Amino acid sequence: MPSSEPTGAETEDRDGPESGDRETVVPMRVYKAVTVFSTLFAMVGAILGFALLDSATNRATAELSEVNVVLAMVGVASILLGAGVYAFATRFRAEEMGNAKNGDDEGSHNG
Amino acid sequence: MSLEKKDEHDHRAWMEERDLTPIEKSFLVSLLWLDKRFRIVDYLELLENLYYKSNLQMPKSHTEQYNLDNKFWYWYPLYSLGFFSTIAYVVAAVSGALLGFYYAPATAGETAAAYDQVIYIMTDLNFGYMLRSIHRWSAQVMTAAVFLHMLRVYFTGAYKEPRELNWLIGIVLISLTMVFGYTGYLLPWNQLSFWAGQIGVEMALSVPLIGEWAAQLLFGGFTLGQPTLQRMYILHVFFLPFVVTALIAIHIGIVWMQGIAEPH
Repeated sequence: MPSSEPTGAETEDRDGPESGDRETVVPMRVYKAVTVFSTLFAMVGAILGFALLDSATNRATAELSEVNVVLAMVGVASILLGAGVYAFATRFRAEEMGNAKNGDDEGSHNG
Repeated sequence: MSLEKKDEHDHRAWMEERDLTPIEKSFLVSLLWLDKRFRIVDYLELLENLYYKSNLQMPKSHTEQYNLDNKFWYWYPLYSLGFFSTIAYVVAAVSGALLGFYYAPATAGETAAAYDQVIYIMTDLNFGYMLRSIHRWSAQVMTAAVFLHMLRVYFTGAYKEPRELNWLIGIVLISLTMVFGYTGYLLPWNQLSFWAGQIGVEMALSVPLIGEWAAQLLFGGFTLGQPTLQRMYILHVFFLPFVVTALIAIHIGIVWMQGIAEPH
């Protein structure tokens, strides 16, 4: 795959507006903040979600009737939210930087 | 010149000129709101700076020297085996220091006191079973990791000039690791330990010329007893820790200065 150089456009849609490949260029300092905090969010969301899921299902040992459905749903939602925040954050990148998600920062330097 | 720092946190300006969707904008605004209050990035940048300043790597690596930009080898998982052994060593040191509070290197008693103490650790002591298991497993892992680390160094040619000295230190370290294992193996003073000790005495005695002297020195006699256990204990918890820790420090220090070797 040819590496896509930054075209100078602030944002670019690779394959039209409906594809999920939108990229947004932000200053380096902002990129760092996005990376750090979105990762933090994803971790907290996933850990908290599994903890909630555990307590709702009594560590997956509860009978179906004893499962706290609301709490379980909140747990799943928390995991999804964490994952969503992380996935969303992958569209941001700093100037002159390939998108890690698409492997743009790694050319094929033949070994 | 104004003392007031230029506000690098004024993001409104550039955000206006970008073509951001409302979601993107609110996403960025909320993360930047957090960033301004919890300055995690600043602290991470501090660490990053520290890392680059403390990187004393002397000769530039081949890829850096010629700016080859192919640093993929850096991530070969096998390049982390040395670090893995170090972690195992640290875990063994910490768990061993804790075990030292409960173990006694004595053969006195109908069943040896050492054996009794191991039984006590395994059955009565809170978290004792876990503690001894961690110690044993980390020892096994360290031996395996050190051996695999040696294989990796050999097969990637990392022992070659200018790293001959570190290879030799590594040979000494892998030998001392096995001495660590052997002395620790004798400490529970059960049947397995005792007869392993017997084998050790006989191996020492089989060495020409200095055999008897070596057996006396290491095992405190030609038959196993209190002196044997005492010596194994002192080797295991006093002598070897200092020697091995110092050698590991030198070993890693040299790697630090010389840089990690690339595959030859």
